[in-house]
Amino acid sequence: MLYAMSPAAETPVIEFRDVAYRVDGHEILDALNLQVRRGETLVLLGRSGSGKTSTLKLVNCLQSASSGDVLVNGVANRDADVIALRRSIGYVIQEVGLLPHYTVRQNVGLVPKISGWPPDRISSRVEDLMKLVGLNPDLASRYPHQLSGGQRQRVGVARALAADPEILLMDEPFGALDPLTRDELQREFLALQQSLQKTVLFVTHDLREALRLGSRIALMEAGRLVTVLPPQEFVRSEDRWASAYVRAFGGDLGSIADRRSS
Amino acid sequence: MNRSIATGVGALCVALIAFVPACAPSHADRIVIGSKNFTESFILGELLAQEIEGHTHLKVERRFYLAGTYICQQAMLAGRIDLYPEYTGTALTAVLKRPVGGDRQSVYNQVKNEYESRFNLTLGPSLGFNDTFAMEIRGEDARRLKIGTLTEAAAFAPQWKAGFGYEFMERPDGYRGLVKTYGLRFAEPPRIMDLGLLARALNDHQIDFAAGNATDGLIPALDLFVLADDKHYFPPYEAVPVIRKQTLELHPEVAAALANLYGQISDQEMRQMNYAVDHQHKDVREVVAEFLRRKNLNR
Amino acid sequence: MNFLRFIFENRGQVAELTLEHLWLVGISTLFATLIGIPLGIAIARRSHLDKPVLATANIVQTIPSLALFGFLLPLPWLGARADRLAILALTLYALLPIIRNTYTGIRSVDPSVVEAARGMGLTDSQLLYQVQLPLAVSVILSGIRVAVVISVGMATIAAAIGAGGLGEFIFRGLAMVDNSVILAGAVPAAILALVADYGLGWVERRLQP
Repeated sequence: MLYAMSPAAETPVIEFRDVAYRVDGHEILDALNLQVRRGETLVLLGRSGSGKTSTLKLVNCLQSASSGDVLVNGVANRDADVIALRRSIGYVIQEVGLLPHYTVRQNVGLVPKISGWPPDRISSRVEDLMKLVGLNPDLASRYPHQLSGGQRQRVGVARALAADPEILLMDEPFGALDPLTRDELQREFLALQQSLQKTVLFVTHDLREALRLGSRIALMEAGRLVTVLPPQEFVRSEDRWASAYVRAFGGDLGSIADRRSS
Repeated sequence: MNRSIATGVGALCVALIAFVPACAPSHADRIVIGSKNFTESFILGELLAQEIEGHTHLKVERRFYLAGTYICQQAMLAGRIDLYPEYTGTALTAVLKRPVGGDRQSVYNQVKNEYESRFNLTLGPSLGFNDTFAMEIRGEDARRLKIGTLTEAAAFAPQWKAGFGYEFMERPDGYRGLVKTYGLRFAEPPRIMDLGLLARALNDHQIDFAAGNATDGLIPALDLFVLADDKHYFPPYEAVPVIRKQTLELHPEVAAALANLYGQISDQEMRQMNYAVDHQHKDVREVVAEFLRRKNLNR
Repeated sequence: MNFLRFIFENRGQVAELTLEHLWLVGISTLFATLIGIPLGIAIARRSHLDKPVLATANIVQTIPSLALFGFLLPLPWLGARADRLAILALTLYALLPIIRNTYTGIRSVDPSVVEAARGMGLTDSQLLYQVQLPLAVSVILSGIRVAVVISVGMATIAAAIGAGGLGEFIFRGLAMVDNSVILAGAVPAAILALVADYGLGWVERRLQP
């Protein structure tokens, strides 16, 4: 069992304390202890079934821990107002999940609208966001089925950022895109992170993506946290699972890790 | 886009709701007469229709061949028809669900009172005949054996074969009561046959005793004899017009027209009209018009 | 083509019976929608209720229509008037397609859309009214369309118990052995069913997201 120690005395934005998660007698997560610091991009890396998506969903209460505590900004989720919590967290999923009967503008402005923002504030915010994620504002009146996969996921990100949340949860957001688009979006994500400094919990099974985007990588295997390391240390780690992962991905990973200046 | 569709559909519905009633004429200037789906009811309905047409300015609409007492009653209650011919006995048992019993006048009064209080329906004056069950034997047998009543016939029952319709066998005021009241005992269990075939079977000597209707057209035609119900077992089935109270209030002249018909049709006359339509295949309208002419009832 | 002449000569009666027919179908479909859609929504959300509710509606539909009328006759107040009875029976018959389509429509909304909406912080009722119902409306309307077409047909049988409507022409025509009268009831009823089917189908297609 490894603990991720926070160097600063600041309260972690997200914290898992001894969290276990069971469904129908199956143990999905066990003895999870993890802290996510303000402004970092913590990548949850692991293969399918490792429990990384469940971990993510515990943060915005889409799933509930069987035991232990999940805390966001010091407040335990079991005591929190779930709806308010979700509205304060941006959520981006692989399938994007845009409402097909809403325009891009309506999709992006959804959380502000249900939070009661005045309409003109919403429309200017939508326009700003579209520019931020690299979308032509002319697309605002289009419907999701009229957009490409890459454009749709940009809308998904814009939507998640609409209410200016502190936290972003991203579940393999670029996994369904072609390699070129994926590369593009990863690059833009890095740029956005640099300017916005959100606290991001990012799930992926792709080591390259993890090395490129994460400030720390939390490796999970069979519902347990194996190790949490910054990218440069991860590629050189001698931990059994970490090195197995590195081997599986072959190639020159060191340069990806080093290229990031964080 | 959704909103404009909803508005369009809503407008269409409003238009339909406003337009369709405009097509259906009101009852203010017309009267709808119903009848059941057998010949006699048809004839009586036509009679009421022609009488009202002849004596009032009302337009008459005919809705004949309604499938039974229940349907007619429902149509009256819902105001879909204003008037139809019913039988007191049927009203008593099938509509009011009371036990049978009593003579013609008391049954008439009971039905009249209950129809008024329960349904706001008025009973017009009786048309005259009593279409009750008729116990028939061949005319030649009646003359030969010199019998005229059921009591007298009981003595000969063991020598006879009887035939009845299915309903007569099942009704409480049918076969069971008859046999008990008159102590009838037939040679063998009665044959159950279609009503329409009973008269012919009697004529052909296949059976000797049958239950039919008192106003059956074949009675005079085949020289059949109706044995008198001297113990008054069978309930009265006087033909009466039943009319909605609201219709009478709206068109009081109808009451006078109905009063003209009081007691005008005897059993024999009804049999003749039934025979003309059923077996001589004459047109109902002509048969009724002829009847009214003979009685000087038409205008 | 005698029946066309019959219809023209008796157009007042045809209009009246058509109106009665529309009334029977309209009121019962309205009731079935007011009961069926909320019920469909309820079982879509609580999945342990779905089988019993759908099974019950299915059983009701399996009962032959004439028999259903007969079962309901002894009821107090409702059984006293044939049109009330007919409306009750027609409502029951229309429930299955409406409940089932509402249930299916809501259930078949893309799960990732539902997940994203939940994750964003939509309450259950916001999820229902802003996401699930708008996306299911075409399927729900299809259920209503089926219910209307079934009702138009069943309402012709309602005339057998005295509820009126175009079936009255059919039954009278049968008793009179007169084809014109039969067709004067059957043809308008068929036209009503076709118009409803086509009209609602058009609206359905326009509402598809």
